[in-house]
Amino acid sequence: MTALLGAKLSERRRAVIAWGLPLGLWSAFIVAIYPSIESALTKAVRGYPASLKEAFGVGELTSVEQYLHAEMLSLIVPLVVGYLAIRSVAIGLSGAAESGRLDVLLSAPVSRRDVVVADCVATAIELALVLALSWLFAVGASAIFGSGLDPGSALAGFASVWPLALLAGAIAVVITGWSLHTPVVTGAAGGLLIAMYALDLVGRLDPNLDGLRYASVFRYYGNAIESGIDPWSFFGVVGAAVLLTAVGTVLFERRDLVA
Amino acid sequence: MKGEVFGLLGPNGAGKTTLIRTLLDLLHPSSGNARIFGLDSHRDSVRIAQRLGHLPGEFAFGNRITGAEMLSILADIRRADLGHSDDLAQRFRADLSRPLGELSRGNRQKVGLISAVFHRPDLLILDEPTSGLDPLMQEEFLSLVREEQTRGCTILISSHELDEVERVCERVGIIRDGRLIAVERVADLLHRAGRRVAVTFGDPVDLAGLERLAGVSSLRIEGSRAEFTASGDVDALVKFLASQDVSEVEIAHPTLEEVFLTYYDEKRT
Repeated sequence: MTALLGAKLSERRRAVIAWGLPLGLWSAFIVAIYPSIESALTKAVRGYPASLKEAFGVGELTSVEQYLHAEMLSLIVPLVVGYLAIRSVAIGLSGAAESGRLDVLLSAPVSRRDVVVADCVATAIELALVLALSWLFAVGASAIFGSGLDPGSALAGFASVWPLALLAGAIAVVITGWSLHTPVVTGAAGGLLIAMYALDLVGRLDPNLDGLRYASVFRYYGNAIESGIDPWSFFGVVGAAVLLTAVGTVLFERRDLVA
Repeated sequence: MKGEVFGLLGPNGAGKTTLIRTLLDLLHPSSGNARIFGLDSHRDSVRIAQRLGHLPGEFAFGNRITGAEMLSILADIRRADLGHSDDLAQRFRADLSRPLGELSRGNRQKVGLISAVFHRPDLLILDEPTSGLDPLMQEEFLSLVREEQTRGCTILISSHELDEVERVCERVGIIRDGRLIAVERVADLLHRAGRRVAVTFGDPVDLAGLERLAGVSSLRIEGSRAEFTASGDVDALVKFLASQDVSEVEIAHPTLEEVFLTYYDEKRT
């Protein structure tokens, strides 16, 4: 299991850089420009309709934390890192089955469960590293450009994306129980992630539809950079991801490995 | 049987790979079960894999990883020594330092072969193992199979090449349309199917003489050349040819399809 996990992690080195670097640079850019646009931005946002600000989680934008949340953490980072989780799981399981790599791996003394668990643990570490890299760039940019970003708050903001992305990856594991076609897995899981975002958005815009938000992981995502991490939401979503992964593992164990 | 080289013969699409994938627990049987080393191929797949080596027909393990890295991962998983892999790499002239994606199909197959045998398994399952290998390497492969057998390894080879199977296997299972239709000794199989013989005579062909010979069938004459299938005892045929002015003789194995036809003809009668 350790050897398998080591191999999976080794494969993910490039992805950590390839995804963490652009996200980190973008976050750094947002943090770096904040001091120069702060006053103009505050005035502009005050003119936005309240419903629009509510829908996109935009507050008053009177701090760099609020600006980072509005520009990165409310939508882009969760969707991008969520998609990365889906992609990593799909490549590690359905992609490996399609290419024949799984045939070689499972001829060695490892069970399918070991393969799924190693893949999910490696994905969880990969996501954490991508988020850590983004946080590091944002905090670094703040130190260089004097944006005044609180490292602790920023850490909470980036860390709160992790359970959401884990859940997206877990959905992909469940889908591999039905299909080993990588485009089907990424398309279906990615579609579900976007559908959950849309559900949450609709619920926020129309109070009558607020109940729908409970079916969306974005309902539990919140705004941790400003209000801190809600442990119930954080660990609740992690728990849901673990549960879905367990279901996906059973389905994966039971299916024939033909794409 | 333990220490035997067993061939699995069948045309493309017959079900050879499906059978192998079922034995390896990559596919689950719709009914029944399979046992290897007395263990259930599904329930005990990990214990079986500890003593198993497998080469799939299309070997793949990602494009960026090198052969050496891949073997190192497999050795870690198996907690096996990599020492033997260097000897094998030299022997098969396999380049373990290049990413698998940069290797030709044949060279990738060599790396796959090394990954299947480096840990000295008790059972070796090889699916179309020589596909992509050049003739020299095919010879080397067949010699490796014999060495592994001498070491005590049991080997299952799937192939649609009768020549390849004949050279290393004692027995073969014939599979067609997903069913194992026969298990025979290779010698018996070939004896039954006969040989394809083409003889060019110096004189006009003695058609009546050939037709009279026992075991000669599917006779076709073209000028001074006769083509036929010779099965059973060939003593009379050799004596007949010795009495003729023969300028050329070609003897070849029947094709797999001809073996099947022979088999089905006998089943029908």
